[in-house]
Amino acid sequence: MNKYAFFPGCVAKGGCPELYPAAVKVANKLGFDLVEMEDVGCTGAGVLSQEVSDPINARTLAKAEVLGLPIMTICSTCQGVIGKANLRLQKDPEYREKINRDYLAEEGLEYQGTTDVKHMLWILGEDYGLEKLKEQVVNPLTGVKIASFYGCYMRRPSDVLQLDQFPDRKKYLEATIEILGGEAVATKGKGQCCGFPILSANERNSLEMCGNHTIEAKKKGADVMVTPCPLCHLELDGMQPRAESHKSQKIQLPVLHLPQLVGLAIGFTPKDMKMERHIVSTKSFEKQIQWIEVLSKNPV
Amino acid sequence: MEVTLKIFRYDPDKETKGNHSEYAIDVDENATVLDGLMEVKSSHDSSLSFKGSCRTGLCGDCSVQVNGKGTVACRTTLAKAVKKGKDGVVSVDPLYPAKKIKDLIYNQNDFLLEKYKSMKPWVVSNLAHGAREDEVSDSTIKELQRVMSCTMCGLCDQGCLVIAVDEQYVGPAALNKVYRVVMDPRDSSKREKLEFASGARKVWDCTHCFEATAHCPKDVRPTESIFELRDMAIKHGIGHGRPVNHHKSFAASVKNDGWLDETRLAIETEGWFNLPGLLKLGPVGLRAFMKRKAPLPYFLHKKRKGADAIKRIFNKWERES
Ligand code: SF4
Ligand code: FES
Repeated sequence: MNKYAFFPGCVAKGGCPELYPAAVKVANKLGFDLVEMEDVGCTGAGVLSQEVSDPINARTLAKAEVLGLPIMTICSTCQGVIGKANLRLQKDPEYREKINRDYLAEEGLEYQGTTDVKHMLWILGEDYGLEKLKEQVVNPLTGVKIASFYGCYMRRPSDVLQLDQFPDRKKYLEATIEILGGEAVATKGKGQCCGFPILSANERNSLEMCGNHTIEAKKKGADVMVTPCPLCHLELDGMQPRAESHKSQKIQLPVLHLPQLVGLAIGFTPKDMKMERHIVSTKSFEKQIQWIEVLSKNPV
Repeated sequence: MEVTLKIFRYDPDKETKGNHSEYAIDVDENATVLDGLMEVKSSHDSSLSFKGSCRTGLCGDCSVQVNGKGTVACRTTLAKAVKKGKDGVVSVDPLYPAKKIKDLIYNQNDFLLEKYKSMKPWVVSNLAHGAREDEVSDSTIKELQRVMSCTMCGLCDQGCLVIAVDEQYVGPAALNKVYRVVMDPRDSSKREKLEFASGARKVWDCTHCFEATAHCPKDVRPTESIFELRDMAIKHGIGHGRPVNHHKSFAASVKNDGWLDETRLAIETEGWFNLPGLLKLGPVGLRAFMKRKAPLPYFLHKKRKGADAIKRIFNKWERES
């Protein structure tokens, strides 16, 4: 049974409101049992000082520990930041005790360091299994060229990703694309920064990055791009019109959230996946799919 | 062991652009890339120019790109490089953002050293001339060990994704060094250094992509140093403008509601009274609003359950720091 403490993060319910329902629908269809964590805080997203985000994340980890469940994230940044906090808390018992004493004890919580945190992409690759996912595919994405875009926190640093234990974590996105019937397009940019974190500090550099990645994918023949990170989506989809004017060229590359891509292949409609909410139209890509079978009704 | 090296050759007196030449060499099983270069120089072409000194990864002199990736030539074995090379050929190129001087030698000045110097990375002591030696405790130095072990090899700057789109960005090597000095108890110019580091194209331009940390051969973790510099600047009330507004608004939103209020974040980043800035948000916001790809408006943003506990954590942290 795939049972998880579900940590949706802020953006899946804020700036990318299409992500949360898409992820929940897909998880339910695949038979995951999700217990949503509603009373926990933002991870800090690498913006807040570790001194305050570590206790906030320790609180989240402790609450999942009480539930006896691993955490499922749907955002690369959430995954990276809470994963990093977890690593520090697990490796350094003294530090963990200090946080427990100073911050968690008041609420009667104590983190013992046993919670596992996994992005939905890793769960598909490791817990659920891509072969099993293949059996669920009813609308294979045959002939569709798909560029992957991981988000920094799903690529680095290697100790937080636990790469020695899970060496394939840098390949799951392409593996998932292939399992869904699509063709993975190799790009240089797939593991790089989308540009979102510096949108406020240096817009030119940010748009340059957004433009470079989407143009590169397009040049290499991609019909669509997929990302497990809603912050990358805000940039690569949301800022694409601005990147077009910055680069003085049309780009028009649809960008999908990972659960949306999986969702379409296992029978959901673009409407179920709320794709009309994207800034860059996804219509051209939708036409490429052979709609063999569509779930008549939402199972949710 | 027989290996073929494909080396970038460039002679400014004879050509405007460089090209690659291949050399077959026979070396020891555990020979490094630097050993390989020396072998080419002694047995094929004595005019080959490259740098290197300590041969033990300490001087940071021998950085090159091996198979397209920045690395320290004296710490990379040819046996390993062959496995990653295209068709078993090991390619060796100079670091890329730098101007080329000859073959594998590049101009370190504008690429690394000028930026580095601009940060004034030295301790400014308060002690009067001739006074007793300024002492630093063992434990303090131990804490600085990580950042002090930088060899100025330049690999973090080579891997930096911001420098890749903006050569004027000061880069992780220089920022790490200024962090090292700011953390030194003998330094009396902390505030001045933090103010400078908070200026344009410095700490706030970092995307925290962790490439610098991933590229560093000495586990200096420059990305972390940049995080710490930001935190320190904010704590000391240093810096202003959009990135600092963004940082403060983010913290205020999580502190009050437990999670991020993105509408408030966007407006407060520009500043409530910054009309041109706010107008620029218009098209982006409108596009998102029309597609319903938008967070709830500011006044509808609800507190999370558990927000009180988060606020308690914040208050406690603020009291303590
Ligand atoms: S921080 Fe690391 S990668 Fe950067 S210059 Fe120093 S030793 Fe080299
Ligand atoms: S020769 Fe000194 S680091 Fe390589």
